[in-house]
Amino acid sequence: MSNSRRNRARPHKISLATNSLCAISGLRLILGAVAILTILMVSYPVVSVVWRSLSKDDIGSEFTLQWIAALFGSPRSQDAILNTIVYSAGSSALAMVIGVTLAFVSIRTDTPGGRWIGALSLLPMLVPPFILVIGWVAIADPNAGIINILASLIAGSKVTLVDVNGMPGIIWITGLFLAPYAYLLVAAGLANSDTSMEEAARLSGAGRIRLLCTIILPLQRPALLAAGLLVVIMSAGDFIIPATIGLKSRIYLLPSLIWQNSNSFPPRPGLAAAQALLLLTVGLVCIFFQRRALSRGSRFTLLGGKGVSPAPFRLGRLRYPVAALAVLFALGSSLIPVVAVSAMAFMKYWAPNALTWENVTLDNFNYILFAYPQVWPSARHSLILAVLGATISVLLAIALAWYGLRLGGRLAALVEYALVLPLGIPAIALSVGILSTWILVPGGIYGTLCILLLAYVTAHIPIAMQFVSSAFHRINTELEDASRVAGHSWLGTLRRIDVPLMGPALAGCWLLIYVVILREIALVILLYNPSTIVLSVGLMDVWGNGFYPELAVYSLLLLVLGMLPVAAFWKYARFGVS
Amino acid sequence: MSGLSVSGLTKTYGSHGEIKALDDFSLDFSPDQCTVLLGPSGCGKTTVLRSIAGLITPDAGRITIGDVTVFDGASDTDVPPEKRKLGMVFQSYALWPHMTVADNIAYPLLTGGYSRSEISRKAEAMLEWVGLSGMGGRYAHELSGGQQQRVSLARAMVGNPRAVLFDEPLSNLDARLRERMRMELLSLRQKVPFTSIYVTHDQLEALTLGDRVAVMRAGKIDQVGSPEDVYRRPRTRFTAEFVGIQNLLSGTVRGAIGSEVMVDTVVGTLRTRGWRSDWRMADRCTVAVRATLLTLQNGGNGASGRVVRTAFQGSSSITLVDVGGTEIAVETLAEGRAVPNTEVVVTPSPEAVFALLED
Repeated sequence: MSNSRRNRARPHKISLATNSLCAISGLRLILGAVAILTILMVSYPVVSVVWRSLSKDDIGSEFTLQWIAALFGSPRSQDAILNTIVYSAGSSALAMVIGVTLAFVSIRTDTPGGRWIGALSLLPMLVPPFILVIGWVAIADPNAGIINILASLIAGSKVTLVDVNGMPGIIWITGLFLAPYAYLLVAAGLANSDTSMEEAARLSGAGRIRLLCTIILPLQRPALLAAGLLVVIMSAGDFIIPATIGLKSRIYLLPSLIWQNSNSFPPRPGLAAAQALLLLTVGLVCIFFQRRALSRGSRFTLLGGKGVSPAPFRLGRLRYPVAALAVLFALGSSLIPVVAVSAMAFMKYWAPNALTWENVTLDNFNYILFAYPQVWPSARHSLILAVLGATISVLLAIALAWYGLRLGGRLAALVEYALVLPLGIPAIALSVGILSTWILVPGGIYGTLCILLLAYVTAHIPIAMQFVSSAFHRINTELEDASRVAGHSWLGTLRRIDVPLMGPALAGCWLLIYVVILREIALVILLYNPSTIVLSVGLMDVWGNGFYPELAVYSLLLLVLGMLPVAAFWKYARFGVS
Repeated sequence: MSGLSVSGLTKTYGSHGEIKALDDFSLDFSPDQCTVLLGPSGCGKTTVLRSIAGLITPDAGRITIGDVTVFDGASDTDVPPEKRKLGMVFQSYALWPHMTVADNIAYPLLTGGYSRSEISRKAEAMLEWVGLSGMGGRYAHELSGGQQQRVSLARAMVGNPRAVLFDEPLSNLDARLRERMRMELLSLRQKVPFTSIYVTHDQLEALTLGDRVAVMRAGKIDQVGSPEDVYRRPRTRFTAEFVGIQNLLSGTVRGAIGSEVMVDTVVGTLRTRGWRSDWRMADRCTVAVRATLLTLQNGGNGASGRVVRTAFQGSSSITLVDVGGTEIAVETLAEGRAVPNTEVVVTPSPEAVFALLED
């Protein structure tokens, strides 16, 4: 155990003695300024939300508690809070069950095709949630959903086996959506487990069940806790599913209510801010405990002495049914909805009797791609913002990570703490915070593409930092030292040594942020105006019209634009945070 | 405790079986004795241990513990590790971090059908045996390396195993702690003898702790015997080098007197004893000459040579002497270091009988 601790690369501080005093001081100044600006960037929305929820009108106006009172007093608000609790609990539980099982099956059992199951389990992350929604509407709509049509055919009369509308429906979809995130955290924990712990248990007489219940699962407690808290935050703050199917079924949840209170008539931004405050508080509390669980976890997942990979957990005859189920679940949140949506895109109209050859058409593609006026301007905006947002996030992360790891200091440590904030703030709440501040600045960036860019960077800089920091950690500091001794400055070293070595990690980080920005709705739904529409917002517009085949084409466009760079560059990219 | 028997164990890795971890390995382990498997990395000693534990399935062979066959390649018998009633001490100790020390030790008893009070009584007794009374409520990360080692041993022994397996348990400790733990292990075993199989690459550990030492190379046994046998009369060049013999001199057989064979070498005619009995006159052979069994003098009878260099080692010095083109290492007490480039005379100790190697 002492060996593994000794061998981990430690952050290495540059001593002033080996550099000209001027260069380092200037550097410290610049990076310090960048750090302070970043800290401000991620914290003012929180302050803003708090302040706005306590102000009668815009920030700076009279102090009032009326919005907080309305938060808990107004019947719609109470209703929404209750619904959000039920929804969050249900979908988190479902996501954990699916994610943990898939992780265990693919990584630790002798199920055939374990690695494929693992890859399939992560596939849903590339699928925009909108496609998940439309796909499952196509599958489980009470009237025209495939399952119900088939059931009716078999039964002879109209049968509604499943109904995607309603609380169970949205819990199901959100559970499927969040499962890959649970999978990621738990899989990392399982892959890093100390083999000798399990071997010692086996030699002490533990059979398979006892081994699983007393050793394997308890040792994963930190990862399980971290995963659980993450999916709770994500489900409580999720916007797309509540704002589409949720509203259609008249189930009001906090995020959709925040949107309505901000946009509809009469607008009640104060109440929206109070609701955002509630979400924000829940999120920050969860993220605090999640970080603690992850840092404590290092004690539980020390690498084994000889690096022997753990013996697979024998499932015996259950291997094949389990594998089949796992594949089904993994596909259920990725390929199956995409196929369903693709089928819908070719339909003239979507109804119970829509599955006929006469119903096939290319009109929808024609309309959306060529006739619909909003499409290409919004696509252009989306692409510009996604590329810029990903690039700025990665560059900023490189600067801050390098600052923290090589120069050190209290400011750098503060940055690390501050950057945890956006992780715990649901996107819609962050949106409220940004809006409440910038609306005060006349002639400022409100209503421009810049405010959207600011929102994207604010929301995604923590993820970029995680990727880039862990990539830096993996670089042995002696590689940098050798470059410095050979005569290159810190900047030259960064350019010639660090960045190329981190290349795959940076590419992976960039692609991830690009994909996420492209399909992000909640961040921008409150901040856009007609001249700055992005693809995802346009999607909400089309949803409003209720014409599913056109919706299908639009969301396929989103999928394709997101997938293009990934397909082109995924070989060079490395997706993984150690 | 029981004895163990391993015969014909074979294990290969690689898609075409290129890596032979074990090559028809056979050995009997006597009850209540400590058998040490000694060898460099990759020699297969850990593979033997893990095969006995049931953590690895060999390709062929037979493993018997007491009178129970736990593995038989021919009849497809493979008893899982949890049913083999063995104890194992791991290199990383493998103490479960989410359980207290007492819970760790008690774990093997959970499947034994004991009552709760019996379990805690036995665990407490075990804690006392390893000298850690009162520490039952602590967690692993609160203990020092040596204490964790002892908890690991207590856990391995608590369930009355048929044998205890040790997988390089002292490699994670620093030199001084290692020495102390070695002596502790020895005293524990002398108090209550138990059957143990001990894997290590450290010859000092092997010689101190083993009742029998098996030197392994490339999946096979090179030599097996008592520590004295292996140390004083190695059979092969490999074993000789592994137990630290510095000089392997080639020589010519001159004759035999009783069980001793006289061999001419650059340092003179040496009395040797080996394991083969078919030496003939003028045969070429190799003699293992320990550096401590040679002496250095300024003159007199013996092989003359020139000092190349000297290294001070604390309680002794090693001097390299060029004798007729061969570099000989001589170990002497540290008074008066030999000066490089001076002429010296190397003679074997008068009563010394050296090891005649087989290869």
